[in-house]
Amino acid sequence: MKDTTAQAKNKISFKITPARGILLVLGLLSICLIVYRLINGLGVTTNLNDQWPWGLWIFIDLAAIALAGCGFSIAVITHVFHIKKFKPLTRRALLLSFLLYIVALLILFIEIGRWDNFYTPIYSFAFTSPLYEVFMCIVLYFLMQAIELLDISIERFNPPARSKISKIMPVVVIIACLLPFGHQASLGAMYLGMPQKLSAIWSSAFLPWSFLINSFFAGLAVVVLEYHFFSKHYRQPKDNAMMTGLTRVIAVIMLGYFVLKIIDLAARGAFGLVFDGSLEGNMFLLEMVIGVIIPIIFGLSSLVKKTSGQIFMATFVVIGLLLSRFNVIFVGMIKTLGNSYVPSWIEIAVIPGLFALAIFIYLFAVENLPIFQAANREYDAFAGREKHAGYEVVSK
Amino acid sequence: MTEANTNRGVLFDVKQCIGCGSCTVACKLWNDLGYEKPDVAGNAHGFDVELTDKNWTIVTYNREKDANGKDVLRFLKNQCMHCKEPACISVCFAHALYIDENGAVVCDPAKCAGCRYCMIACPYSVPKYEWDKVFPSIQKCQMCDSKIAAGEATSCSAVCPTGALTFGDRDELLALAKKKIAADPSYVNHVYGETEGGGTRWLYISDVPFEKLGLPINVPNTPINDYLHGYLKYTPVVFLGGGALFAALSIYTKRRAKVAGHGEGDE
Amino acid sequence: MKKQTEKQQKKREPKKLSRRQFLGAVAATTAIAGLAGCDMGENTGGSGWLPKQYRSAANWPIQLKGRVPVDPENPSIVRRDDACILCGQCIEVCQNVQNIHGYYELPVKNEFMCVNCGQCALWCPTASIYERSHIDRVREAILNPDMTVIVQTAPATRVSIGEEFGLDMGTWMEGQQVAALRRLGFDVVLDTNFAADLTIMEEGTELVKRVTSGSAVLPQFTSCCPGWVKFLEFFYPELIPNLSTAKSPMQMFGSMLKTYYAKKQNIDPKKIYSVAVMPCISKKMEASRPEFKTVAEYYNDDSMKDIDAVLSVREFAIMLKEAGIDLPSLPEEDYDSIMGEASGAGLIFGSTGGVMEAALRSAYYLMTGTNLPEDKLDIKAVRGLQGIKEATVNVPGVGDVKVAVCAGLSNARALCEMVKAGKVDYHFIEVMACPGGCISGGGQPRTTVPPSDDMRQKRLESIYAKDAIYKLRMSHQNPEILQAYKEFLGEPGSHLAEDLLHTYYISRAEDVTPKKFN
Repeated sequence: MKDTTAQAKNKISFKITPARGILLVLGLLSICLIVYRLINGLGVTTNLNDQWPWGLWIFIDLAAIALAGCGFSIAVITHVFHIKKFKPLTRRALLLSFLLYIVALLILFIEIGRWDNFYTPIYSFAFTSPLYEVFMCIVLYFLMQAIELLDISIERFNPPARSKISKIMPVVVIIACLLPFGHQASLGAMYLGMPQKLSAIWSSAFLPWSFLINSFFAGLAVVVLEYHFFSKHYRQPKDNAMMTGLTRVIAVIMLGYFVLKIIDLAARGAFGLVFDGSLEGNMFLLEMVIGVIIPIIFGLSSLVKKTSGQIFMATFVVIGLLLSRFNVIFVGMIKTLGNSYVPSWIEIAVIPGLFALAIFIYLFAVENLPIFQAANREYDAFAGREKHAGYEVVSK
Repeated sequence: MTEANTNRGVLFDVKQCIGCGSCTVACKLWNDLGYEKPDVAGNAHGFDVELTDKNWTIVTYNREKDANGKDVLRFLKNQCMHCKEPACISVCFAHALYIDENGAVVCDPAKCAGCRYCMIACPYSVPKYEWDKVFPSIQKCQMCDSKIAAGEATSCSAVCPTGALTFGDRDELLALAKKKIAADPSYVNHVYGETEGGGTRWLYISDVPFEKLGLPINVPNTPINDYLHGYLKYTPVVFLGGGALFAALSIYTKRRAKVAGHGEGDE
Repeated sequence: MKKQTEKQQKKREPKKLSRRQFLGAVAATTAIAGLAGCDMGENTGGSGWLPKQYRSAANWPIQLKGRVPVDPENPSIVRRDDACILCGQCIEVCQNVQNIHGYYELPVKNEFMCVNCGQCALWCPTASIYERSHIDRVREAILNPDMTVIVQTAPATRVSIGEEFGLDMGTWMEGQQVAALRRLGFDVVLDTNFAADLTIMEEGTELVKRVTSGSAVLPQFTSCCPGWVKFLEFFYPELIPNLSTAKSPMQMFGSMLKTYYAKKQNIDPKKIYSVAVMPCISKKMEASRPEFKTVAEYYNDDSMKDIDAVLSVREFAIMLKEAGIDLPSLPEEDYDSIMGEASGAGLIFGSTGGVMEAALRSAYYLMTGTNLPEDKLDIKAVRGLQGIKEATVNVPGVGDVKVAVCAGLSNARALCEMVKAGKVDYHFIEVMACPGGCISGGGQPRTTVPPSDDMRQKRLESIYAKDAIYKLRMSHQNPEILQAYKEFLGEPGSHLAEDLLHTYYISRAEDVTPKKFN
């Protein structure tokens, strides 16, 4: 395994284990369902209706995009603030984010009723629509991420050619850092236009910024989980201090988020709604306790010095983010839209496969591209095939 | 030919409506919408229906109490309100929805990507979807655009036997509505649609509170567009300002790192 | 010039609003995109069909428009929208023939204004409006072996049912009708005409009382027509004391069937299912009126109804055709007994003026103790399709009895106004809601649209022709009636007769604000 020949250097290698086979099968199943959906229309495949035109897929979209915030949050930290200690996370966060966007875009493609018209918004210049901003930012951001990944691929397969695009990379990186600010916030802004439908707990001019901030820290939490899971999977040495540092950063941002949330509620006089025992109020409390307060306590204590503490906290943050999206999309609207929607089996079944496919691609990319980086420069310098032998599946 | 008037409107006087439902039939006929299958008793349509892709207008009946506490039977015609500044248009990311030359809010299915944001964003939940189609479109009242263009009234107001529906210039209708309210104290002192969501082309006057008839009364007077604009106006600031800031920060922090002696290139 | 500047001003106004301008720009971009070759989709705003009268320029008056409101819970009438073409016929008959639509102030109070006469169903050219079907419940009862299903047939059905089988208008089909009903599975076939005779006994007695007492409220109105009764309750509640308290023949029959008949024939009244074949769909409403719970009160059992189902002639024809029964080819059969025997007086209830004529024949007897001479039995003055007819009958010892007859609620309205104003001094007024009376009722076979007087005349003549050759032409001669009084009721107006055969009326003034016309 360890022999490093020139042949190994340029060859793509990927071993299909039974587990990976399952991922692939799940993925293919999803692809089949997607094709079925595209041929048969929304009415046949989903339980969406005139009362609930948006359902599970929108939720998965919003959640996946928010979790894909890992790309820009790490990028801002490492590229804009140049905090060196988190540098090793940059590429894995980028890859993960890219894959989550693929999932989100695929679901979006089947979610829109007229997939044959998916391109019309590109030249619609609908500047009044937050969804337009979301759409354009995601498309452009996806492009930027693709360029960054292309850069990494060139580094792996044809290092000399890298100089050709290296000049534009700083610009690409800055734009890529910037675009998510547009769409993460605009996703929240989509719900600005319906003060008469969305519960006053969430209906606020602060909602876009709330979406932006929580996607930022939830993205970091995703990185924590990803780091622990795949480092273990590939038997990579873990940098526990780096992770502790990252959880501290998350906790600090969350503290700010929590304060802003409280100020927002207070300023709108919506506190009463939170504690009135209603479904909306209780769900909001759940979102805050699980997704914000518990992680903050963890993050500021010594619990996050241990791996288990870090994983625990990050999990809570991610659950909190899912809750926050769930609350806005479903709970906050239930009073006005009624309860006529339960997702169909196809809506549900299409989802795991897409994530399985994302994981599959992730594994492939990690084993063939210089994604995992060490904290020190020397390690980086060898981020070619030599070190990659070590990333191959050792277990299973 | 009558001169083009983009300020069309229809006034619905709840007090004049007898619930005959002629308007709903006229809408079906003119727009070729068809009916759902009749129920076991042979009833088709009637009151027991909701707005759908095929029901662009419906009449509901409500047993309510009037100002004197007496039980009264009141009808409400529902359809697209044709806002002057529609939420659906503001949120449509494909620009499929637009206000046409007659003032009607209509949808161009050739552009619609089917995101259904308009359905969620409409304060009156009017746009409906052709769920049973593979390539569906948004469906709703088009204010009989083609009839208006020919100088005719909307189908529904043309067939109304009691004058509950009046088609005309919105400003004149507004004046008429106010005159009616001033002359008859039993009316609720508000023309629904005058200010809701920045004003709608359909106006309602009634002697029982509007919310009892099922009209949403929490529609803000501010057009939905303003809420969105309140956020979207920062977009250029965020991108230009943020871009400059990030670039500056990036260069600064990088240089600082270099000065600190760890000469490190950007990835 | 002034208009021009106004217009300009109007045009300029929007420009003050930057948002509108913005939306305009949005519309413009759309238009440009359209020109640039992007498919703008189909034409918006519809391109279907509407009756021509609705296609004129806005704000011109339209002669005939819309349609009548129909309560989804209307006991008589249902409508399916998918057949409606907005031709305006229903609203025309409702407003101009029946004077319901347009004769009340808006807003409506707590009811859909309707007297259930069903003329709209006759006039509707597409059968969008039709009767609420009782076929299923009747069929269910017939199939139930525990039930004795007894049917009564109204006077006017026997001259119209033939039309549903291609026969000439007014063809006499009494015997075949009885045979057909038996073949449909009805256990007993009886005649509403019997109850019509009974009505004459009660109503006539009441009239005599009113006329001879001098102090009672006059004129007396007939109360056999449920559409008319509801009309009066809506629009002339102050005339309720003038309404005869006698029930309609159908309801009298219903009361008698489960009491007198059940006892006589020794049938458990709870096992009787009482069906009426009627030329009328207002009868469906009448049967459901809450005050008609005579049987329920008699037996102290709330589940019992006086009349369980009412079939229109059209429904009857549908049942026959579905069962494959060819009416014209059937033999003539006789009604069952008891309550199957009737006089010519009972028969002519089916046409306008018939009740009056029948009542006069018997009232004469009740007042004088002698029968009208044979040659004066035809009281021609009250016959025919004229809207309002009047006649004076000299009753020896009483004096002139002045009567009026009208059919069609517009005529009834005119008459009521005259009565209210004290312009007329009639003793007795017969009112039928439908023009021509029951022979042109809302439950009759559909003919021309709108129904013609030609048709009415033929059905009417058929009835009078039969009356002329009846042996018994006066209600008080009907032996079954005499038997019923002797064995059960006592005498007309007795306590039991009051309980079973008379009713009361409810003012519906709360439900409507009549329009004032000067």
